[in-house]
Amino acid sequence: MTVATFIQLIVEGLGTGAVYAALALAIVLVNQATGIVNFAQGGMAVLSAYIALVLVNLFAPATGTAAALVLAIILAAAISFVLGALVERLIIRRFEGGDPDTAVVATIGLLTLITGICGIVWSYNYLPFPWFFSTGDAFRVGGVTISWWALTSILVIVIVMVLLQLLFRGTKLGLALRAVADNPQSAALSGLRVGGLLMIGWGFAAVLGSIAGAIVAPKLQLAPNMLEEALVYALAAVIIGGLDSPIGAVVAAFGVSVLENLAAVYLATIPGTSIPFIGHDLKIVVPFVLLFLVLVIRPQGLFGRKSVVRV
Amino acid sequence: MRMTSTGRRSMAIAASVGVLALALAGCSRGGSTGGETSTSSAPSPGITDTTLTFGITTPLTGGTAGPGNCTADGAIAYFGAVNDAGGVKFGDGKTRKIEIKTYDDQYVAANALTNFQQMQADGVFAAGLGLGTPTNQAWREAAIDAQFPQVLVMTGDPTFSDQTKSPWQLGLVPTYQMEGEALGKLLTTDGKPHKVAILSQNDDYGKGYVEGFKDGIAGSSNVTVVQELTYEVPAGGAAADVSSQITQLAASGADVLLNAVSITPTVINELKQMVSIGWTPNLLLPSNTNSPGGILLQDGVNAAAFPGIYTTAFSAAAASPTFATLDGGQDFLDDIAKYTKQQGVPAFPHCVWSWIGAQILEQAFEKMTEPTRESFMTALRSISGFTPTLMLEGTSIDTTTDGHPAVNAVVTQKFNGKGYADADSLG
Amino acid sequence: MSWYRSAWFRWIVAVVVIVVLAVLPLVADPFANQIIAKIATFAVAVLGLNVVMGYAGQVSLGQIFFVGLGAYAAAAVILSDWGKALGFGGIVIAFVLAVAVPGVAGLLVGLAAARLRGLAIAMVTIALPLVGVPLAKRFSDLTGGAQGESVRFSKAPAWSGLYDDQWQYYVCVVIAAVVFALVFFLVRGKYGRAFAIVKSNEHVAGAMGVSPYRTKVLAMTVAAMVGGVAGFLFLVVNQYTSPDTMGFGHSIELVISTIVGGAGSIVGSIIGGVYYVLLPLLANQISQATGYNTQNVIEGVVILLALFLLPGGLASLPRVIRRLARRRRGHRVAGGTAAAPTNPNTK
Repeated sequence: MTVATFIQLIVEGLGTGAVYAALALAIVLVNQATGIVNFAQGGMAVLSAYIALVLVNLFAPATGTAAALVLAIILAAAISFVLGALVERLIIRRFEGGDPDTAVVATIGLLTLITGICGIVWSYNYLPFPWFFSTGDAFRVGGVTISWWALTSILVIVIVMVLLQLLFRGTKLGLALRAVADNPQSAALSGLRVGGLLMIGWGFAAVLGSIAGAIVAPKLQLAPNMLEEALVYALAAVIIGGLDSPIGAVVAAFGVSVLENLAAVYLATIPGTSIPFIGHDLKIVVPFVLLFLVLVIRPQGLFGRKSVVRV
Repeated sequence: MRMTSTGRRSMAIAASVGVLALALAGCSRGGSTGGETSTSSAPSPGITDTTLTFGITTPLTGGTAGPGNCTADGAIAYFGAVNDAGGVKFGDGKTRKIEIKTYDDQYVAANALTNFQQMQADGVFAAGLGLGTPTNQAWREAAIDAQFPQVLVMTGDPTFSDQTKSPWQLGLVPTYQMEGEALGKLLTTDGKPHKVAILSQNDDYGKGYVEGFKDGIAGSSNVTVVQELTYEVPAGGAAADVSSQITQLAASGADVLLNAVSITPTVINELKQMVSIGWTPNLLLPSNTNSPGGILLQDGVNAAAFPGIYTTAFSAAAASPTFATLDGGQDFLDDIAKYTKQQGVPAFPHCVWSWIGAQILEQAFEKMTEPTRESFMTALRSISGFTPTLMLEGTSIDTTTDGHPAVNAVVTQKFNGKGYADADSLG
Repeated sequence: MSWYRSAWFRWIVAVVVIVVLAVLPLVADPFANQIIAKIATFAVAVLGLNVVMGYAGQVSLGQIFFVGLGAYAAAAVILSDWGKALGFGGIVIAFVLAVAVPGVAGLLVGLAAARLRGLAIAMVTIALPLVGVPLAKRFSDLTGGAQGESVRFSKAPAWSGLYDDQWQYYVCVVIAAVVFALVFFLVRGKYGRAFAIVKSNEHVAGAMGVSPYRTKVLAMTVAAMVGGVAGFLFLVVNQYTSPDTMGFGHSIELVISTIVGGAGSIVGSIIGGVYYVLLPLLANQISQATGYNTQNVIEGVVILLALFLLPGGLASLPRVIRRLARRRRGHRVAGGTAAAPTNPNTK
């Protein structure tokens, strides 16, 4: 095992982590804006990617793939915004303010429904999703290969994360969204339009998910269950990082992915022996061990804020 | 949550459950259970003078629904055309149409068993073509107890073809061991030294391949395995991320990679990654992830960068450019489009395998002399030298050998830039 | 007092139900018996989840792990040489281990996780099935590996004169009834009250002298033991187990079944079991009729409809009907609005 391999593994981990981070950001946004953890986030992102694919195929003969792709992603994002807002108004509204477990199960129901619809309309075959360059393109630095796809994905995620952080901590809209999620009644009494803000929150989250779906689909190929496993990692990352912190979610997502891959390789056997330990099959243990440690030491998450409860 | 008068409500609802159960039951115990044997002249359930019902329990939704749908669609397409042309002329003189009933098990073993029990309640004659080892294993013993044919199952598990262990079963596809062994033998023939890296799925599929491969290279002096890694199938059937495994394997300096991977997008990503990190070994691909159209010729995959891509196969690849010119090729494409919900050219080989399985069933139907399950099994196990359409030259169907699935041999092939051509050694 | 509230009426209904359940398998189709036995199995699994989630208010996404662990523990005993030699005694030992092994696991998980709150417990418990499946594959000597193992032991014994499906029905329904009765008394007693206090407000509980930590650990342990019983019943009904028995997908299904049935309700657990078993069958019928593979769509619609109309789960139906009837009769219902908004960060 050389240094180059070690660095390569970290690079690979960051690339994979981008997928989790994208989803994690959307989950943080919905939670900040409406107080609900949305299990259907991945499903909505996948639906949006399918819509984008339909649009690309529609436009490409006229405008060429790259332009069609840009157009399709923008349009799909706009459509997602509307769909997200409608879902909040028509379906999720009923569950806000009630038992959180019921709300979570309702989002799971939504996820199942969306996955089923995608499966019927587009079948369960893997569909190739075009991108601006091949996901295999890479450049070499030293002995390490860095993929362009991973680099651009990470860049996009960091930009979005910064924007989200600014939105919530620096703008009135962000403040309003948080107020509405925190305490709808006093927000309403202060004159905020609760209903509209909730819809905007879900709309934005759907747009975020749509970007995530567009980034991931070229790498994983589009299928109804494309983001199912990523969802679990994203949730773990959100909790480790802090439910109310975009930075936390992203850092945790990348951290989890890198550590997991390092553990799989370097802890395949207990160091110094040949007893099998964490190999590639058990590497999923790593995020949860981390999760547990973080939660015991710092329950609000690495970057989260401590909340005080008055009894 | 305090409830007032819980007891009263519990009674009322429990009574409703009782009524529901009665409604389910229908108050009369029809049909026979487990141990009863039908006499050989009375027809088995599921067969009349004009129809025979064949059941398929397979994943139709969920993570493995891609291949799962194909395991049913090939047969649905084949018998759709046969039924429209009048039906199958059975060995007892009657002409019958074949009705196929599909049951979704979402690749869950317990659901497959429930589906089997439902099939018995629905009066199905025989079942098979279903995908997966745990799902087929879940009802194997129950099928034996009920003397119910579980045939041409889509799993490489050798148990199904062992007549002592599984008297009412028969496998369709070659066992994973057979394929792995063929690939292993391929390596030994050129006498040059080879270092092999192995990436395998962490289940019976991957283990079977590796076991067979090692059998194939056993005793040869020129082939050694330098590293073996596995990966876990992700929840939901999404593409597995094997980038760290590839990085590790690349560091081993192997010149051959045995890739016992069954997920298409994973293989595509592997190939792209290998080219970009500069490790291009000879590739040994299994029969369900070797598709030219689906994998090797995809955008961004530079198949030409690899010195040789080899596989084992027994059937033609639907995504290959010359497919429509083969005997039965155009029929396959037309019937799939007409009778199933497949969109475009099927992406999984299971569609073609199911088509082949349907032809084997047709042979058995044509040979069986009585409308009974025993007669069906006898007829099924007496087919030899049969070459259904879409099977490759050099392979044929032989169900008479105990311990072998219906497809008794595989052919090793090399990718030639467009499709595959026979090859029996590296280079 | 209306006649249907009298104790006399309650006893009549109870006797009728018991007679129906006892006689049913003798006249019903084998398939119906098999279905009811499976409903009993998963009703027990949901009941276990209700103990920790519905009554004690801690979301657990790991219940299926305990079910699978119970099944594997029982299987290991039944398939072993000494288990086979002991015959019926071996099966009894298998049952005991099916309860004890998950119980110990549940205790350990509870000790570790009980300090956490809300979503955190959910995420820690999610780890159980996710880690359980590869572990089951790794220890293939004990578990039969990825392809699973067949455990044939629930054939009807000769002395009973019953068919297999009838025997399995009785075994499952009787064991389920006993477990339900035990849990019923548990949640009626002082532990049930402790669960309720901890669920509504942990800080208040502490102030009242009820240790939230110990209560949660107890809830988790009981849930795991009940789950283990469900695992034993699973083996009775399926005579087969594989790593996917404790898969992540099932874990979500159990939570859905619990909420749709009605969290924190004995009857809701039975309804949850009915939902878990019957939904795939219903979906198959619809798929066969329409030609489209609709299982996911139907499941999603059922969940959303059920929760939309009855956020308290299907078990709350009588209560909702009564409230609507009362309204129509002109009675004022005080404060009939939704519960006060809860902030999940403080749960």
